[in-house]
Amino acid sequence: MASPCTVLVDGDDPEEAMALVEIAAEEAWRIERKFSRYRSDNPIYEINHAAGRPVEVDAETAQLIAYATTCWELSDGLFDITSGALRRIWTFDGGTKVPTRQAIDECLPLVGWERVSWVDSTLTMPAKMEIDLGGIGKEYAVDRTAGLIAAQTACSCLVNFGGDLYAGAVRRGARTWTTGIDDPDRTGHAALYRLEIARAGLATSGDARRFVTWRGRRLGHILNPKTGWPVEDAPRSVTVVAPTCLEAGTLSTLATLQGAGARAFLEQQGVAHWIV
Amino acid sequence: MQLETPDDTPAPPQSALRERLGTAALALLLVPGAAAAADSGAKTQIDYTTLLYGEQGRAQVVEPILRATRLFSDGQLLSLQLGFDSITGASPSGALPSGRVQTQTSPSGHVTTVPAGEIPTTSFVDRRTGLDGEWQKPFGQRFTSTIGVHASTEKDYDSLGVNGKLSVDLMQHLFTVTVGAGYSDDSVSPVGGTPAGLSDGTVVTHGANAKRVSSALLGVSRVLSRRWLVGVDVTRFEENGYLTEPYKVLSLVDQVTGSPLDQVTDKRPSTRSRTSVLFSSVYHLTDDVVYGTYRYYTDSWKVRSNTLDFSYRHDLDENRYFEPHVRLYKQTAADFFTVGLVVGQPLPEFATSDYRLGPLTTFTLGATYAFHFDPVPGQLKLRVDYIRQQGDGSPANAVGVQRNFDLAPTVNTVSAVVGYSFKF
Repeated sequence: MASPCTVLVDGDDPEEAMALVEIAAEEAWRIERKFSRYRSDNPIYEINHAAGRPVEVDAETAQLIAYATTCWELSDGLFDITSGALRRIWTFDGGTKVPTRQAIDECLPLVGWERVSWVDSTLTMPAKMEIDLGGIGKEYAVDRTAGLIAAQTACSCLVNFGGDLYAGAVRRGARTWTTGIDDPDRTGHAALYRLEIARAGLATSGDARRFVTWRGRRLGHILNPKTGWPVEDAPRSVTVVAPTCLEAGTLSTLATLQGAGARAFLEQQGVAHWIV
Repeated sequence: MQLETPDDTPAPPQSALRERLGTAALALLLVPGAAAAADSGAKTQIDYTTLLYGEQGRAQVVEPILRATRLFSDGQLLSLQLGFDSITGASPSGALPSGRVQTQTSPSGHVTTVPAGEIPTTSFVDRRTGLDGEWQKPFGQRFTSTIGVHASTEKDYDSLGVNGKLSVDLMQHLFTVTVGAGYSDDSVSPVGGTPAGLSDGTVVTHGANAKRVSSALLGVSRVLSRRWLVGVDVTRFEENGYLTEPYKVLSLVDQVTGSPLDQVTDKRPSTRSRTSVLFSSVYHLTDDVVYGTYRYYTDSWKVRSNTLDFSYRHDLDENRYFEPHVRLYKQTAADFFTVGLVVGQPLPEFATSDYRLGPLTTFTLGATYAFHFDPVPGQLKLRVDYIRQQGDGSPANAVGVQRNFDLAPTVNTVSAVVGYSFKF
């Protein structure tokens, strides 16, 4: 997952805790292997290299794609798992280089879920287009791992994959799990908020280090698949708490895609959120 | 599931969007764990390649190889490879050219004549059959072990070996350390018996000669960025036993005229320690990939070599790629290499005139083209290389008439590989 993964177990038995951590690690790697677009032995590779041929996928991949399709519909096309092609022309390294209009225009025809046929677990995508489930894969892994662990133990656990997390049941002594929201400029060093949660997922969208400066404006790394341009005035960090990590992650991404309208969007959804 | 906050604020009403999202998330997370774990992972890949190699006026090699690899869903990998080699043609015997016609006798007793001024060669035919197996197994998230076995047999050479490797992934799989070791037990049974070294070849011993090779490997590789992977591998081989080429000879020349008067057999030390250090880099550009390696090699026979290798893979489209390739290789001679010996002088302890142990520069230029066309499954690959090999044609210790000859004529070779692979 290219980020630190931790599992906290509220219990007394170190052996049990180790066994639970083992389960978590195995599940995290399984999902990473299966859905990473940097491997050549998984369904994502098969889809991205099918060159226009239909690809039938297994049940789990089909459900993830179905979920991504729902997100695409709900966001009116802003959340799009085919927008990865744009990331090849944008480099968010804090510099001032933006791609030319021509490069964006050449790239846009390779983006757009509406160009993909998705029927009965069979996906047919024009050659050169790519899908990337990175936007939901980590949150999905958190929820799935939390589910596997909950089936194995009565202890309350906190599963945290690089800041996206799920906190299990209320802990012993009626305590909750304490988490924090980082100052985006000082990740890992300074918490802006402290949250107490139980039986809930939490996810943050935004990476303060990934931006470009263009005509004096700071453009974050969230791209609008319709314009090929970063979403303007997007908050630097959006944290959402929801019943599952997957929903929390999706809602924070959808909010960021609204740019300046992020706060209004989240208020409309009636969801606990923190915007920096 | 409900959000529980310590101050127990009542959850605000859910929007329609949240309801649909919640339903979709539930549908996804309710896929049974077992079904989710049942990866579409298990795969079999079949690779078939044929290598055709032809040196101008010398050896021709045909080598078909069939390989089957099974990848299991738990990450285990099993592969089996069967290969045949057929080598025919001529190879320099090691003897020097003469101003007159020479006659020579092959290991099987054939007498041939060599025109004046030409490098004597020996004709040969050999067929080799080899079988290789490999089993790779991950342990937990960090360790991968690989065990390999190989066996091969040909008319005068049998080889049986095992090797093992253990890789450890560190720093979230960004840094990998590999240690490995191998052992091969070979036997050399020259046709017509084993001639005594530096002799006229008439006294032979019958039976097999042992040759043992043990090896150790230490490698590290590091992902520097999403685009760049670099690695260093150090390999050490310890060989001991019969390391001589039984069919190679050296000319004994007249110290004034340089005319070959007689010949003696080749003789090499019975131990050889070889060390190589390989630096490699793989860099992914937006679509293309640049591969570069540099290898430094040194051994106890004082052969040192430097190899530079570059290739550039360019994907023409989803179905085709083109990969030009260039390689430069330069080696120094073994300390007992000499083009010939002089009659009347004491024989050295070891001597060879085998061009492969002499000073050598090889330049390779080639390209690979791979493609797939519907509806045939799999990928076809064509690779063609032009290899130009140059030695030292006018060594300083050449005597008399030998100075008039090119003692290491440039050898041009074309090699082609045709491959087909598919997965199911």
